[in-house]
Amino acid sequence: MKRIWQATVVAGSFALFASSPTLAQGVVKIGALYPIAGTGAVYGVPAMHGHDMAVEEINAAGGILGRKIVTVARDTKLKPAPSSAAAKELITKENVDVLVGGLSSAVGLAISEVSRLEKVVYVATIPKTIKLTTTKLHPYVFRTASNTDLEGDAMAQLVKQLGVKKLCDIQLDYAYGHDLAAGIEKGLKRHAPNVPKVIDLRSKLGATDYNAVITQILGAGCDGVTSGLWGSHFISFAQQAKPFGLFDRVKYITGGEIGSHEIAGRMKLDYPDNVWSNTYELWYNHHDPSHVAFQKALAKRSGSKETAMWPVLAYIGVKMIAAAAEKAGSLDPDKLAKALEGMTISTPVGSRTIDAKTHQANTGQFWGPMVKKPGVDYRMMDPVKYYPAEIK
Amino acid sequence: MEMLLNNPTFAFLQLMNSISLGMNLFIIAAGLSLIFGVLRVINFAHGAFYMFGAYIVYTVTKLWGGPFWLGVVAAGLGLAVMAIVIERTLLKFLYDKEHLMQLLFTFALVLILGDLAKILWGTDQYSVSYPAALSGATNLGISFFPSYLLFLSAIGPVIMILLWLAIDRTRWGRIVRAATQDREMLSALGVNVTVVYTSVFAAGAFLAGIGGALAAPRVAVVPGMDATIIVECFIIVIVGGLGSLWGTFWGALFLGFVTQFGTVLVPNWQDVLAYLLLMVVLLIRPWGLFGRPEGEH
Repeated sequence: MKRIWQATVVAGSFALFASSPTLAQGVVKIGALYPIAGTGAVYGVPAMHGHDMAVEEINAAGGILGRKIVTVARDTKLKPAPSSAAAKELITKENVDVLVGGLSSAVGLAISEVSRLEKVVYVATIPKTIKLTTTKLHPYVFRTASNTDLEGDAMAQLVKQLGVKKLCDIQLDYAYGHDLAAGIEKGLKRHAPNVPKVIDLRSKLGATDYNAVITQILGAGCDGVTSGLWGSHFISFAQQAKPFGLFDRVKYITGGEIGSHEIAGRMKLDYPDNVWSNTYELWYNHHDPSHVAFQKALAKRSGSKETAMWPVLAYIGVKMIAAAAEKAGSLDPDKLAKALEGMTISTPVGSRTIDAKTHQANTGQFWGPMVKKPGVDYRMMDPVKYYPAEIK
Repeated sequence: MEMLLNNPTFAFLQLMNSISLGMNLFIIAAGLSLIFGVLRVINFAHGAFYMFGAYIVYTVTKLWGGPFWLGVVAAGLGLAVMAIVIERTLLKFLYDKEHLMQLLFTFALVLILGDLAKILWGTDQYSVSYPAALSGATNLGISFFPSYLLFLSAIGPVIMILLWLAIDRTRWGRIVRAATQDREMLSALGVNVTVVYTSVFAAGAFLAGIGGALAAPRVAVVPGMDATIIVECFIIVIVGGLGSLWGTFWGALFLGFVTQFGTVLVPNWQDVLAYLLLMVVLLIRPWGLFGRPEGEH
């Protein structure tokens, strides 16, 4: 009996193998790495919406080099170790042609390391750590996200514009936080060299208790705060800082896409005053004409007219790969990498060009104050200003 | 360091922060200490009880729109009921077994309850708002301080006194104290020890439940919060002395101060500071600052 079962299983797996796209010629396999389950799913699931949207659009138009795209998605669990394991598995077992995604800087660096060793192209759509395109740069990694130097520079410009006299900095104690702090430091030298930064505070990634750092900001007497507390970190921080009156005393300038509708829509009227923040995209801001169509399609897919920001990042990643593959006429990693250098595409949030040397796309961000609006129970960014990806 | 010396307002705020954190921790750790004192069971699942308390208050306030205080009561009672079920159907079979079996059992509970929480509430991070009456700040003369944190600082001593009264001044308390000394003798004297054990386990879980519910607005409700708190509780009861109520009280205050002032004085060592101090206590007074050495009961 046991023999029969074994035989069935073996035969079954052969059948699966034969029909699996691995052997089937004529498809392009993209390995997508996002946190699609667990704590990170709030970011990963919307990101996959954007990814799938791009894949469907390209497939409807005939695919890449006449071949249909197949996505093999893996959960990164928001952690570097499972991400690099998943990246390896995608390359060795699934034979993907290219890797895309990564959420959190630590995850991005982990996937990039696999891409370097396995010589497979990786397009980083979300990680911002500057190291990815500087000290850890290699021929196969490309970034369509912004980076911590650009983000820090924009924040330093805001420090100057808002007339901050005494600055406190609070960051998360990992790659992104450290690099953003360095980016702000560099920006301050350029734009506001006379504003003293009196205190550097660090909180653990995943921290939920910010009372000690809040009192330190108050104790230091700052009138401006720069920060990179993203997602739930900011939500906890803001709730705890409110009764201390922190947001009445400081101008809170923050990266980490706290200006996105994800955060505004989740916090609703708990969103504090005096916050200036950034986002890659706003559903209500049609910066580029093609944005209207993109946003409409996304609203239909996600079932809400107020759409999330993460989809556009994953969307751009896939579009960039498709354009480069068409240009290279091949999915060979070396040819694809060559084509990505200097590649330009137009996207719903403006055109994107990847620098041939740094492998960094010229991805700017929208910045502005988050204000109350009549008729809605969430805050919106107004006025919205685009900070292009250039450091002067 | 400089800021603490030069800025009395800041030093005061840190002091108040330490007390409110310490008192919140006390409520939770008191339950762990109580259960150990009587049942001689080290309840690893105490952190999970705390987490359920936080999820219950979230459910009552955010999902059902109920008042915060109702959520706190529901968390306490809900956990007490859960504890009675666990004690009556499972734990009672393990009292006569070796300690390892009990440890493994409560550890299994941690895993089961952790997964149950994920099934019931998902893995997203939730926040619970401060109760309306305490959402502002109170003027303490030196500075304003969040009313809710002030309330936490006050509720700790209240619970301490109530517990002390219950254990030192009531018949139930006398029996509980007797149970820590000699359960066979107590049983021979005609006391229903089973009921004592069940009630103590339920009371411990009740404290974990309201501790979690009261902590929810101060921090955030998130999977994994059980692991953090159980480590903190162990530090508290080991420093204070396992089974000693006063020890737990001072141990909790101690950890509150170490955590809050550690982030200011030694920001890079903040994570290990509590463990270092724990090691020192274990080396010098392994029975804790307020406990008594084994055999001196």
